[in-house]
Amino acid sequence: MKTLILGLGNPILSDDSVGFHVVQALVGRFDEQEVTVMESDLGGLSLLDLLLGYDRVIIVDSIQTVKGKIGQIYRLKPEDFVIPRHTGSPHDVSLIATLELGKRLGLEMPKEIVIFAIEVQDVINFGEKCTPEVEQVIPKVVAMVASELKGGEKPRTEE
Amino acid sequence: MKKITVDPITRLEGHGRIEIFLDDDGNVANAYLQVPEFRGFEKFCEGRPVEELPRITPRICGVCPSAHHMASTKATDAVYHVDPPPAAKKLRELYYCAHMCHSHIAHFYVLAAPDFVVGPTADPAERNILGVIAKVGLEVGGEVIKHRAYAQDIQAVIGGKATHSVCGLPGGMSRAITEEERADFEEKAKSMVEFGKFGLKLFDDVVLGNKEYVDIITGPIYTMQSYYMGMVDANNKVNFYEGDIRVVDPEGKEVAKFKPADYVDYIGEHTEPWSYLKFPFLKKVGWKGLEEGKDSGVYRVAPLARLNVADGMATPMAQEAYEKMYSTLGGKPIHATLAFHWARLIEILYAAERLLELCQDKEVIDPNVRTIPTATPDEGVGVVEAPRGTLYHHYKTDEKGMVEKVNLIVATVQNNPAMNMSIKKAAQKLITAGKVASEGLLNMVEMAFRAYDPCLACATHTLPGQMPLEVIIRDVEGNIVHQLSRNLC
Repeated sequence: MKTLILGLGNPILSDDSVGFHVVQALVGRFDEQEVTVMESDLGGLSLLDLLLGYDRVIIVDSIQTVKGKIGQIYRLKPEDFVIPRHTGSPHDVSLIATLELGKRLGLEMPKEIVIFAIEVQDVINFGEKCTPEVEQVIPKVVAMVASELKGGEKPRTEE
Repeated sequence: MKKITVDPITRLEGHGRIEIFLDDDGNVANAYLQVPEFRGFEKFCEGRPVEELPRITPRICGVCPSAHHMASTKATDAVYHVDPPPAAKKLRELYYCAHMCHSHIAHFYVLAAPDFVVGPTADPAERNILGVIAKVGLEVGGEVIKHRAYAQDIQAVIGGKATHSVCGLPGGMSRAITEEERADFEEKAKSMVEFGKFGLKLFDDVVLGNKEYVDIITGPIYTMQSYYMGMVDANNKVNFYEGDIRVVDPEGKEVAKFKPADYVDYIGEHTEPWSYLKFPFLKKVGWKGLEEGKDSGVYRVAPLARLNVADGMATPMAQEAYEKMYSTLGGKPIHATLAFHWARLIEILYAAERLLELCQDKEVIDPNVRTIPTATPDEGVGVVEAPRGTLYHHYKTDEKGMVEKVNLIVATVQNNPAMNMSIKKAAQKLITAGKVASEGLLNMVEMAFRAYDPCLACATHTLPGQMPLEVIIRDVEGNIVHQLSRNLC
């Protein structure tokens, strides 16, 4: 099974970089024939270009929810996002709309997509480091992604 | 006070907010676009080696990283006083044409087409790319994805990475391309030319063939008189990668033509207390507020501006399309803001044709792609036409090439005054006597700035990948009149 681990976010925008840091820690830990580790700060249709051809994709990204606690980790599936299928930006579509588009077009979409999302606070100030509350959960997310790959018992959403 | 909030404004990334203020009679007195600003970028760059900036600056914005990569690379050429060899310049332009196709295709099919193919007042659940393919056919969606992927492949091969290019160096490129790669690019470019033609045909059939849409495009809601700015080649034809900056007045007369390095003599930056974004204006005309016309220094950049300042397109089919647009819309310059979309399609065809020309130029595989810098670095300006308009990178370094100062003037900021004015104008025409705005009406206000393909605080990809833009309508006392909300999760 060809797997892509994709860390999303801007590596120099504080907490937005959390996905980047998680996948950096995963580089070199897997058989490169089977698992590709990649980071990107692109979105929408550009993501579709990256996802095609993989059987399984694990996305790591930051998230901001209304009542979230900073550092909280969520293990999500695309269907967990109850977003109307609007396009989401002036340039592009949301991840969910992108996946839907790929499906409707009959493209070779990944059979399984898992999203690890980390509740963050600062996505406004430039900086290469996450804030401490986010930084301290990075090892945990790394372990969760690694265990996901082993196909063992799936980690559950942390409360 | 009355306030209308359209919650996550569809298709706007970054926490944008439109505030609309009503007068005593419930008519629109003022409308402002407000966006947040990422902080500390200049400081982040200071003290780093200048040759790192082509890899750092694309991180400002995940939408047009290649534009920043190229503008930044050109600025480092200037800082080191080095002229890249011809093959390097051609390779950069080839890469850059692929980027323009990649970006413009997304904007047209994903953002503009929903308003025209599905309809400006259609249910937002349908007014999106999925609605577009439902109307025009799945195979069109497939073609969009295919040609995006082609453009992406070309950028990845030249750029050295799938997403964040590392090819640009002071004095040239990190590596040449092989004959095999060139031949592959050529086939892809041929297909992209066909797709470029298809886009214009689709526009012809769906938009120009519908009188209602043509009336919207040419009508007063979306018309604004301003100056225009863009880059032109030696023959005054549109060029994305290299040339002089030309400015025309609202009558289409050239009022300035300058070298990118001289931009400070031509562009001033006004600030307003209510906005993080600056308000660039033409220094020689002066800042007269958010006003239309010849006495106001407000200018516009991006596709329509580029076509308005140029004498034409440098490739044959794009030239034909260019002539058709101006004859259809009544000559130059065109002030119809929604014609930005048409201009964008003409630029896709031009970028594809130019891409093919460069792929067929054998010099593009010349292995000599780097001139090693020998001069002491100090200061330099690099400019390209980003998909959204003229992009200036200006760096100062110490004698070791460590960054002391960075100034960037990005396209969306240059269009900031005009976007505010376009929004106000649309709001004034569409919201009258306190009539509560409907979703469809507010979408038509959104269309006024979507035409500019704005790129507001857009680096963040925090899930779910869409940030809200509120439209708030307030009455004279400042109370919120109305608020339409679509949710984030």
